[in-house]
Amino acid sequence: MDLSIDDKVQALREEMRDFFAKNLPPEFARKTLIGEKLTKDEHKQWHAILREKGWHVPLWPKEHGGPGWGPMERLIWEEESGMAGAPRLNHVSQDLLGPVLIEFGTPEQKAELLPRILSSEDWWCQGFSEPQAGSDLANLQMRAVRDGDDYIVTGTKLWTSYAHVSNKIFCLVRTSTDGPKQAGISFLLIDMEQPGVTVSPIYSLGGMLSVNEVQITDVRVPVTNLVGREGGAWDITKFLLGNERLMGAWIGVNMSLARQVRERLGRVGADGRKRSENSVLAQRVAEVETDLLALRYTTYRVLADELSGKAPGPEVSVIKVRGGEIMQALSELLMELAEIEGMVHPLSMPHDGVPVVPDELEHMAQQFFDKRKLTIYGGSSEIQRNIIARRLLNV
Amino acid sequence: MDFNYDDNQRMLFDMVDRFLTDKHDLAKRAKLLTDPAAEAALWREMAELGLMGAAFPEEVGGFSTSPADPYVVMERFGRHLVTQPFLYTAVIGGRLLIEGLSGADREEEIGMVIAGERQLALAAGSAHMLRSAEDTAFAAVPDGNGWKISGRMPAVLNGDRADKLIVAARTAGASGELAGVTLFLVAADAAGISRRNFRMIDAQGAAEVVLDGVAVGAESVLGSVDGGAVLVETALDHGIAATCGEAIGSMEYLIEATAEYTRTREQYGAPLAKFQVLQHRMADMYIQTQTAKSMALVAALSLDGDPAERMRMVSAAKAQVGRSAKYVGYQAVQLHGGMGVSEELDIGHHYIRLNFINQLFGDGAFHLRRFGALAQAA
Ligand SMILES: Cc1cc2nc3c(=O)[nH]c(=O)nc-3n(C[C@H](O)[C@H](O)[C@H](O)COP(=O)(O)OP(=O)(O)OC[C@H]3O[C@@H](n4cnc5c(N)ncnc54)[C@H](O)[C@@H]3O)c2cc1C
Repeated sequence: MDLSIDDKVQALREEMRDFFAKNLPPEFARKTLIGEKLTKDEHKQWHAILREKGWHVPLWPKEHGGPGWGPMERLIWEEESGMAGAPRLNHVSQDLLGPVLIEFGTPEQKAELLPRILSSEDWWCQGFSEPQAGSDLANLQMRAVRDGDDYIVTGTKLWTSYAHVSNKIFCLVRTSTDGPKQAGISFLLIDMEQPGVTVSPIYSLGGMLSVNEVQITDVRVPVTNLVGREGGAWDITKFLLGNERLMGAWIGVNMSLARQVRERLGRVGADGRKRSENSVLAQRVAEVETDLLALRYTTYRVLADELSGKAPGPEVSVIKVRGGEIMQALSELLMELAEIEGMVHPLSMPHDGVPVVPDELEHMAQQFFDKRKLTIYGGSSEIQRNIIARRLLNV
Repeated sequence: MDFNYDDNQRMLFDMVDRFLTDKHDLAKRAKLLTDPAAEAALWREMAELGLMGAAFPEEVGGFSTSPADPYVVMERFGRHLVTQPFLYTAVIGGRLLIEGLSGADREEEIGMVIAGERQLALAAGSAHMLRSAEDTAFAAVPDGNGWKISGRMPAVLNGDRADKLIVAARTAGASGELAGVTLFLVAADAAGISRRNFRMIDAQGAAEVVLDGVAVGAESVLGSVDGGAVLVETALDHGIAATCGEAIGSMEYLIEATAEYTRTREQYGAPLAKFQVLQHRMADMYIQTQTAKSMALVAALSLDGDPAERMRMVSAAKAQVGRSAKYVGYQAVQLHGGMGVSEELDIGHHYIRLNFINQLFGDGAFHLRRFGALAQAA
């Protein structure tokens, strides 16, 4: 047993800190830290800066243009970029689809699609959930019927994040209704810029637009857009969700929120006293901080196992559940520490002259309510607990 | 002991419920938020119905026979997700008029509120969620026969619609002291007042209010000079009790809606309601709501009793209701899955309002401290 971090990894951490200090535009960091959305153009700018450094696809191996980092380096990246307030790049394309293509794609798919992600030309969204297939993903109904060298695809995807800013979607589609539900599902890449694809926005709590309904009607998709074999999507899906859940720790973002909470706790509140003198508040803050430490070291433990050759398994569910809960608790504390100024609706604020409330408080409530999704998407907390009970406890 | 609504309250309950069933739903609410004329029209209709009178006893022109009557109105407001400022204008503003004025002035001012021709907002405190007046951001200095008031509050709830502001200003002593705060009833468009309107996260209106040497006469003082903070304390306790009612109405609705949703939504080939973990979750929501409801009713029924006892019960209720409201709101969203975080369903809006209520008039930490201090002193 040993708590210390490898010198090489530590050096990389220093290098990242230095890089962010010198290269991350303060305006991007400001927006990211207070929860304001970056424009697509700003994303592209940040992408270009990272590309120059070779850090634009942190999860990818060297041969495909990534830095070739191991699990520890990736976690350090997660921590440092979160702490620095670095905007998360087009995460569905890079962190979810990219590794899937690298692992399961054909040579042609890799050659064509990976560069387009690297250059930020393609923005992908994830079409898994449907009206009747939420937790029960295998119940999905979107049909893909083989017709010559094409599939003809029809169906509805729901809650598709970023569909309104994406040009491509990867979908789980039903290619067969025989046998077990899971066995009839295929992983298909679909161009959204064609007739038959309609995107309708769904606004979520606090007036944010991040999810959509995507309707696909009689769209022809070449068979060459199939990833893996027909009917073979379930293993790909598990691989992808495993990556997504590991990221669900949100370690860096949580650390950054915790730092903001601590800093605000030291300030003077509306009653003229330092908030840290309020023992109830002080205790709540310390509690979440220790929860976060526990999460952080649990993540390290999972990754250290991965380093010694053990693939992350169902225990990532622990990380997913706690990562979401802790972020909810931290953003709640931030909102409460801001008192009435933290409860305004950002979309309604007048922007003439001196701001009514300081910039960094305007989005506090919206951010808190937006975090409500964390224990619902990507496999809800109930589903994660089912996994823990079934697969880890055998009950 | 009797925790049931009396005949008057039953009638009030039915009247409000019928009116809101007819006039209010999520789509209409969304329209109200962007249409001030429609909001004003709804307010007039509510006044014509006689609703404002529920906050005023007969001797001042209303029809209330129990201090718990506003609770009944607000409980229905909570169920129907109404964002109209009955709380700020009739309950809190009204209470300050009842206790702070007398004679013809009182009759006239209250008459305006009951007629639906007056909106009020309390500008007391600083950056907190309207929990007390001792640390008010406003100060008043003597000026001839009257006063000049200055100060700024970032968010005065219902400050956007208020025709008159009740401004708590320090006239003596130091911030944090109960004595030395005076209440002034000031026209919201008086010279020297500027307002910028916006909405809080729960969609209720608010305004930044800045007073820059606003001159008011001695007749604008509510209650006694330097004696305003105690009045605010009383009025806010009335506000808290009514708001606890609102929270209960909202929580009871969420439980019904969640039970209904899980009975009809199927995943894994069965209604969600068949999963025992979700059954227990709903049972916990019910337990939370029932215990909160007991305390909410106790708070409403303690309003005209001994002040120390009133404060103790109101604080106990506020802490309990806030805790329960957060739990019930959170779980209602959770059990609705993605639907719960969509603005298209009312579930998420209830959740936001319940969180707002938890903070409003002092959060759990504040009221546990107040409860503890009173219990220690007793
Ligand atoms: C903001 C947001 C972004 C999203 N982005 C995407 C995206 O980009 N792409 C995509 O494909 N999907 C996305 N989703 C969808 C998300 O993955 C689903 O919402 C999630 O899987 C839950 O499904 P559901 O909403 O249908 O809820 P349901 O499955 O109907 O669940 C409702 C409730 O029942 C519980 N429940 C269900 N089954 C069980 C069980 N067996 N035992 C115990 N409890 C159970 C759930 O935990 C939940 O509390 C997103 C969702 C949100 C909210």
